Amino acid sequence: MLGPISEPVLLPGGASKEAWAVDADGEPLLVRRAGGGVIHRHTLSLRHEFEVLQVAHEAGVKVPRPVAYIEDLDGREAFVMQRLAGETIGRRIVRMTVPERLPVQMADELAKVHLLPPERLPFLAEASIDRLVEELDEIGEPHPAIELGLWWLRENRPPTRPALVVHGDFRIGNLVVDENGLVGVLDWEFAHLDDPARDLSFALVRAWRFGVPDRRLGGIGDVEPYLERYNELTCYDVRPEEIDYWELAGNVAWAIGCLTQARRHLTGQERSVELAILGRLGAEVEHEICHLLELHGVT
Amino acid sequence: MSGRPTAEELAQAIEEFLAGEILPTLSDPRLRFRTLVALNALGIVERELAKLPREDDAEQRELAARIRADEVPAGTLAHVKADIEARLRTDSPGYLERG
Repeated sequence: MLGPISEPVLLPGGASKEAWAVDADGEPLLVRRAGGGVIHRHTLSLRHEFEVLQVAHEAGVKVPRPVAYIEDLDGREAFVMQRLAGETIGRRIVRMTVPERLPVQMADELAKVHLLPPERLPFLAEASIDRLVEELDEIGEPHPAIELGLWWLRENRPPTRPALVVHGDFRIGNLVVDENGLVGVLDWEFAHLDDPARDLSFALVRAWRFGVPDRRLGGIGDVEPYLERYNELTCYDVRPEEIDYWELAGNVAWAIGCLTQARRHLTGQERSVELAILGRLGAEVEHEICHLLELHGVT
Repeated sequence: MSGRPTAEELAQAIEEFLAGEILPTLSDPRLRFRTLVALNALGIVERELAKLPREDDAEQRELAARIRADEVPAGTLAHVKADIEARLRTDSPGYLERG
């Protein structure tokens, strides 16, 4: 079926999974293969991630074309997909000249994602914000700034929306971008069922603005055209206050994520300076939580 | 108040990286020698740090527990933010300068 296959090249990055670039009959492909560990226990298996990719692709979401799932590739599970051309490194994207309509393009894709049929993906679990508390307790370290964030989230919970299929990690860094804008949405391993407003707000988390904090949407643009477009395309009528709420929740989640990553190093699950230092850099995220709480009038 | 990894644990992580990932790639004998000397120095730092008393986080634990119990009097955030800024002056001074 396939023509000549090039020598696979292991790509850098990807803490929990390997990514191999390989060309088959001249077609650029990417092999995503299981690595040492999982980022946390709510990550999808590669089999399920591949199924999400298939459903998203059929629905016309801009994603790499799924090619094949391989149960055992030299002892680990893997899948093959199209290798999209474009930039994925956040620090580079925020410095690129990207079209002004990138926020609108992001909203277009997210609107399609939130319409994916949950009955096709019965393995997706519903997330709740209480999961964050569990994860923090597992770390067992005192973090008053994170506690304050969680307290505010408890006190100000917006009315619950029905849980839809969400990407779960929709932000710059997980999107392929070129000079014409959005090429594709990657990294579906955190897909789950959730409030669409939460999914919409994750791209605002300050750590994902890659050093350009004034552009509130991922360091590349403004939130208003993004939200406006999303509301035009869906019937959810997400309000700016919900975006603010879930932006804070996103920062709390990432502050806990930093600690969880550092734990992977400290417990010996995966020894790495890169993971270890996140335990300290999490202070930046905790500072942002404090900053956002100030904006909400907390003293 | 600095949290984990401790300075000792960070030094360990760097030692493992240098010994496990960098050293095997070095073919220049001079660079190999200097890296071994650097690892030796790092070992001294680690053992020196190991002698320091463990940090007492009782105050932070109490504060975290009070917030969890919804006890958040006015001024709590200002106090917590000042603690975080003190941590950042060590962990990421550039972050505070960027504003």
